[in-house]
Amino acid sequence: MTITIRIPLALRAYARGASEITAAASTVRSALAELERDHPLVYRGVCDETGAVRRHVNVFVNADHVRDLSGLDTALAPGDVLTIMPAVSGG
Amino acid sequence: MPERVVLAIGTKKGLFVADAAKTRQRFSLRGPFGPGVAVYAALIDTRGTPRLFASSCNAFFGMKVLRSNDLGKSFEETASAPAFPENDGRALQNIWTLEPGNDGVDLWAGVEPAALFKSRDGGDSWEMAEGISNHEHARTWHPGNGGLCLHTLIEDGDRVHVGISTGGHYLSEDGGETFAPSNSGVGAGFVPDPYPEYGQCVHKIARHPGAPGRLYMQNHGGWPERPGIGVLRSDDHGRTWRSIAEGLPSDFGFPIVVHPHDPDTVYVMPLEPPTRTCPSGAPAVWRSENGGGSWKRLAGGMPKKETFFTVQRDAMDIDRLKSPALYFGTTTGQIWMGRDGGEEWTCLFDSLPPIHVVKVAVV
Repeated sequence: MTITIRIPLALRAYARGASEITAAASTVRSALAELERDHPLVYRGVCDETGAVRRHVNVFVNADHVRDLSGLDTALAPGDVLTIMPAVSGG
Repeated sequence: MPERVVLAIGTKKGLFVADAAKTRQRFSLRGPFGPGVAVYAALIDTRGTPRLFASSCNAFFGMKVLRSNDLGKSFEETASAPAFPENDGRALQNIWTLEPGNDGVDLWAGVEPAALFKSRDGGDSWEMAEGISNHEHARTWHPGNGGLCLHTLIEDGDRVHVGISTGGHYLSEDGGETFAPSNSGVGAGFVPDPYPEYGQCVHKIARHPGAPGRLYMQNHGGWPERPGIGVLRSDDHGRTWRSIAEGLPSDFGFPIVVHPHDPDTVYVMPLEPPTRTCPSGAPAVWRSENGGGSWKRLAGGMPKKETFFTVQRDAMDIDRLKSPALYFGTTTGQIWMGRDGGEEWTCLFDSLPPIHVVKVAVV
């Protein structure tokens, strides 16, 4: 199934400038795995060496944060949009 | 006794108090009070006999509220600080704002994690304001980099506005009993929905009592794909908001301050989004004299280059003298004063600890 992954501005240079890419994935975890395979530098900006999503990165499925769903095991449906965004930070 | 200009300066290492005659020629400094302990909130309470209040955030031993009855010559701890009820599950991490209530002695304290407390006895005892603290959204708010803080409280008759980072703007129209999110037009750059119902990273809200319904907001801006959401204005008591950021070098910043005698005059301190410091290393306050319609850069006397400080959300204030002076404190420990509403700037102190809050009063 095809879903869309939206790339944050800060990581687009590692995706040849693309603001979004498509992936064939049934869970957030498999979408990130596809991201790692096709765009390893984007993936490295999203997940750390252990595979965990970085502390100051948020991942949404459509409008919902994955922490409010089933985390990386959240199921994806065709047409879903996986949005990667930097967490809010100030100071 | 002649009136004096008093500054309460909350820093990473305690509270300082500075005062001067109304000419503002020479400020004397005392402190630190609560030495070594960070102060994020200060209040110069001018109702009746002036009193100073400050929070004192002890990372080891918890939160205190400091009170001075002698214009900041000495401080005592109040009998208690705000605390969440037993079994609430939350623990007080910080006090981000202290504000006077509508009567002679009551005080509000906005805290982290985001909640609101009220004292009816000058800070000796506190009760939680359930309407916002236990709002159905409260457990879904998330912290920004500064923590999950309720940092702004504005009381306007029966209306009470609060600003939460990150929760957004909430409005009560029954004196603080119940609250509803009120963020129409307030954007967010860190969630997929650019205009969510709530959850925005509001940095500060300000109003002038002479302009009913008018509010100004410094929101978390600096998003290239969502420009202009950082500096906003409302003309209907915060129900709807619109951008007034056009003409500023950046819509990112923390404080927003309104002129004491002119509700159309408002001040912000734009910062570069990537660094949260002065654009191009040249600090400036920007002033609008037409409610955000246009902006003018005010930097006379300030460094022209190689300056990279941050001014935090409560670290800018303005006095109420006929020709008011603006004051801001920096994360590099400087206090700057801008006479004539910010036309000409002077550094009053240049080596204090990093500054979180600056409040001024003429008493």
